[in-house]
Amino acid sequence: MAMVENVSSSRRSFLTKIWIGLGVVALLQFFTGAVTYFGSGRKQAEKKPVTLLQAGIITDFPPGSVTPIAKGHLYLNCLDDGSFLAISRKCTHLGCAVPWIEERKQFECPCHASVFDITGAVLKSPAPRALDLYTVSFEKNMVMINTSNPIKRTSFTHDQLVYAPKPS
Amino acid sequence: MSRNLLLHFRPQQISAAALRFTLTWGLGGMAALMIVQQLVTGLLLDIFYHPLPVQAYESVQHIQSTIFLGRLVRNLHHWIGHVLIVVVLLHLLRVFLSGAFYSSRRANWLVGLGLAALVLLANFSGYLLPWDQLSYWAVTIATSMLSYIPLIGIPCQELIRGGTDVGAATLQLFYFIHTSFVPATLFFLMTYHFWFVRKAGGVLISGNKTTDKQEKRNLVPVVPNLLVRELSFAAIVTSVIVIFSMRFDAPLGAMANPHLTPESVKAPWYFLGAQELLLHAPPLVAVFFLPLFIGSFLILLPFVKTVEDKTHPLLKTLVLIGFGFLLILTITGIWFRGPGMRLMWPW
Ligand code: FES
Repeated sequence: MAMVENVSSSRRSFLTKIWIGLGVVALLQFFTGAVTYFGSGRKQAEKKPVTLLQAGIITDFPPGSVTPIAKGHLYLNCLDDGSFLAISRKCTHLGCAVPWIEERKQFECPCHASVFDITGAVLKSPAPRALDLYTVSFEKNMVMINTSNPIKRTSFTHDQLVYAPKPS
Repeated sequence: MSRNLLLHFRPQQISAAALRFTLTWGLGGMAALMIVQQLVTGLLLDIFYHPLPVQAYESVQHIQSTIFLGRLVRNLHHWIGHVLIVVVLLHLLRVFLSGAFYSSRRANWLVGLGLAALVLLANFSGYLLPWDQLSYWAVTIATSMLSYIPLIGIPCQELIRGGTDVGAATLQLFYFIHTSFVPATLFFLMTYHFWFVRKAGGVLISGNKTTDKQEKRNLVPVVPNLLVRELSFAAIVTSVIVIFSMRFDAPLGAMANPHLTPESVKAPWYFLGAQELLLHAPPLVAVFFLPLFIGSFLILLPFVKTVEDKTHPLLKTLVLIGFGFLLILTITGIWFRGPGMRLMWPW
């Protein structure tokens, strides 16, 4: 008699375990389903085609100028030696938009007072790294900026500069 | 039938000792009251609100300026939202200090943590909805903190924002969280929370042992003893909030402009502690390890072995010191930081 009870109770606990196991599997399925549902819907907004932005004619940007390009949330800087640099406006600290302060010739973040020079390099923290870059290219006499993916960098180096082709 | 349902939450008689105000400071009840008030004012606001950029801002302006009592309803929703966070944190601290999270109350402590997280989530998701400069940039800063977490930080940030920047997709998600996800989850967890208190035998009566034993046996009917106390406390709290909201307006700045960050913009105040820490500590500590540590500490707390279910005094002191530390950081962030994060006096 005792044996019979043991058998039935162990069978019952076995069945209970199966039920719990199935429940966990179902829960996991539901969870992954929900997450994928959510994620796939959000991806659409994220996907951006490669967009080349026409910034303007090369001569529009004299050496030593910083021009805000509102459409791409960026600045097109022409350094004193005539080289170009497209710089993101997003502060690398916590994402505020940094304005160019003409009198002091530097970018000053209004949020936590980070300062960047004309090349986007950090002059004053808390910003941890230089402002992001965008690729600049030239088509005939136009400056083109690839706004689809900003390039992260820790600091400014000279190979980031892009020179316009000599007019022939 | 309804009477039976109520009995799941409240017994017919309770011990006289449980009536003492200083047992709970009415914090849990206050939180519940405020959540109901948020539900009512939130529904009223939702009638006229549009969760789309530009329209969102205009609809809030419309609510404030043309709708009868619209401004008061928005003020109430705004201020209660902030006070609720303070109340919930104090409630958490009170429960911790009276050690009411062992044995039969263990599960309820976890439910309570879930509720606290939901209240924070509700406030944060509501922050963006007015779509003014303040909300836009505060949410930008707060979600930017995620980017300091290695590997998963940026993907998480983009998932939340629905793109690289805060925009229409972010507003849509925050609106959903604020008006569907949070209320639904909150309702279930709250029911559970109350029922668990009842199941554990009401509020924990701590304090002087001998007099308590007598008082505990001295049962009094809930109606009117407890009911009158609760109702009058609710009335006092409500009138203070209403008077405050009639006097002080919820802020509404200029419409959100992704091209221009206004001077002295700050993250929501309950993130300012983390942001302040971000200035002094390695970013990974401030935005990742510290929250992770606090979170797991709170979750594991009721499972620590103790003698007679009493919290070790040393632990209490440590928690109070930690709490004080965060409080100082937060207060510095709120009142002692001027434009450009310079330290300054608040006057
Ligand atoms: S966001 Fe620019 S310094 Fe913080």
